[in-house]
Amino acid sequence: MSDACYVYPDAPATPGRVTPDVLFRRGIYMNGSMSFDDGKSVTIWGFTDLAAGQGQDDGMGGGSFPSPAIRVTEGQIVHTELTVGMMWMHTIHHHGIEPSEENDGVGHFSWDVTNGTYTYQWRPSSAGTYFYHCHTNTPLHAEMGMYGGLIVDPKPDPNDPAGTRRAFANGPIYDVEAIWAADEIDPAWHNLPWYAGTCGGDVGLNNLNPKYFIISGVDGASSALTHPGVAVDMTLGQTLLARYICAGFHPQKIDFGGLTVDVVASDGRPLPAVWQTQAIEAHSAERYDCIIKPTTTGTWTVTVQFLHWRTGAVMGTARTRINVT
Amino acid sequence: MERRGFLKAGTAGFASLMTGTGLLSWSTRSEAATISKTFYITAGTQTMPDGVSIYVKGFSDSSADLNIPATPIICQEGDTLEITVINRLAVTHNFVIGGLKAGDAPLASTGDIAGGGSKTITYTIPTGKAGSYLFYDNKTNYNVFLGLHGGLAIMPAGKTNQMYSGSPTFKKQTFWIFNDIDPALNKAVQDGTAIPTSFTPRYFTINGLTSLPPGAPGHGDPTRDALFDTRSQLAGYLGDRTLVRMLNAGMCTHSMHVHANHMEWLTDRGSVRPQVWKKDTIQVRNKLGKIDAIYPFEAPPDAYPPVTTGHFPMHLHDEMSQTAGGGMYQFGAMTEIVFK
Repeated sequence: MSDACYVYPDAPATPGRVTPDVLFRRGIYMNGSMSFDDGKSVTIWGFTDLAAGQGQDDGMGGGSFPSPAIRVTEGQIVHTELTVGMMWMHTIHHHGIEPSEENDGVGHFSWDVTNGTYTYQWRPSSAGTYFYHCHTNTPLHAEMGMYGGLIVDPKPDPNDPAGTRRAFANGPIYDVEAIWAADEIDPAWHNLPWYAGTCGGDVGLNNLNPKYFIISGVDGASSALTHPGVAVDMTLGQTLLARYICAGFHPQKIDFGGLTVDVVASDGRPLPAVWQTQAIEAHSAERYDCIIKPTTTGTWTVTVQFLHWRTGAVMGTARTRINVT
Repeated sequence: MERRGFLKAGTAGFASLMTGTGLLSWSTRSEAATISKTFYITAGTQTMPDGVSIYVKGFSDSSADLNIPATPIICQEGDTLEITVINRLAVTHNFVIGGLKAGDAPLASTGDIAGGGSKTITYTIPTGKAGSYLFYDNKTNYNVFLGLHGGLAIMPAGKTNQMYSGSPTFKKQTFWIFNDIDPALNKAVQDGTAIPTSFTPRYFTINGLTSLPPGAPGHGDPTRDALFDTRSQLAGYLGDRTLVRMLNAGMCTHSMHVHANHMEWLTDRGSVRPQVWKKDTIQVRNKLGKIDAIYPFEAPPDAYPPVTTGHFPMHLHDEMSQTAGGGMYQFGAMTEIVFK
């Protein structure tokens, strides 16, 4: 920890703390890994679900990538409890959620959690797709994998049959859901310590040259085409809600393989009117909620292109599939 | 090496840039006016957060200043712009006001201004040109990256609170002008050597400055710290809806991300969007991209207990842009949003 600069260690009590409607207990891991289709692997960091018995707060284990999703209902008072050992500093920023300064999880505007636990308290006001990530030495910590999905469901509509799922209040009903967090991996960044560059010196954090392109923690070269956590299997007549999260740093373009999608929301807010498209240009941290109703059986390949932020050149692609039977 | 008019930015040159609150000040007029402005093309050095000195150029307020970006101009449809540009350097430059929409011809241009020379453009703004503009030097395809750029706001005639006729209303307005700096380019220009064929930016600025986090030298100094620069910082009470005219003078496409409120996204590359989307991230494309959006200053909607005050960041989410010299997270293109 002594090698870190411009960090703001603390783990104070939560201002105005109340009993929550829902609690998420997150630890961290700093020694996970991800394997790619070419057999190589990189170190991955992330958050663990302590309530589910994952990992400990010493941070030395591995864990799931992306980190376990946080799923809540509009209007709930939420506690996200983050426990970090004395060797590290991290935060949780619930991206797109807009809480108080103390609960926003930005180190230099509040604190970097270390040697203790901080409980982020918030109450989501708008259903939609978000994600959470570490906001300490963010270029590195987000690239290393410290993020997970964050879904806010609308309150159940009492007029809907039990089990009905809507994208947002009075929004479209869906049967099948996919969460696609598209990200790029530069292995050169994955051997750095958590505080790399904070005291100065060139550790290359201005220059991300990815070699791998992934969807929700699965290599998009081949595996994501069939991985059950990424590829979609649905039957004709069902409605898919694809929650697309641009989890990388470079711009992206997602192409739905000839399917026309109804974009109904972005960044956790319903759009004033449905936008019909077959492709979306996206940029870092943006989210799009896409309703897809295939009219025939078949298989469609969804392709995410990763575009260099300066040249616009396609650096690589990640692909998955929608199979309709 | 270009010696003529060599200045040191970050001291008197930048201090002279700070005027009033930093926000664009505007009151409506029933009659058109002539807006006269003289810019001096000057050059010098700017010290980056890691101590590296970078050769830069600017459209400055006097021959003794080095202003990056240039002092903004605000006017209205029907006004006549009378802009004189005096080139204090030894090499040829120019001054171009870009078009409103992507692909539009420039509004006006001086043409070449030889070293030591000057030119004046006179341009009467027709109806239909309300919007946000970048003015810049396109004598080369890299002069804009050196600092030769600034913002021009054209208001609809007779309006004080709309950016185009029928737009959502605002109370305040300002510019966020982003730039990316590759020192190898700046040094090649300074030394007169071959211009690199590929760029890798190492510094990232908003209105010419980088953020300086708590504990850093200069933190809190509005002439040095983008977090506190009154041109960049958004500070307001609930309801102080602020129009931000975002211009990308740099070489990279950026993802602008605000905390605490979603913004109302009005335009993209000069075109009014079909609907106003509420967004927490909006893309500001390179190659002179621009967007306009309103920060509404509503109570942070997800706070419990509810709050009406607080400090939050605006930063670019392509996080490479939050660094300086390959490290130094928090020393990049970021500013602060203050709920008073």
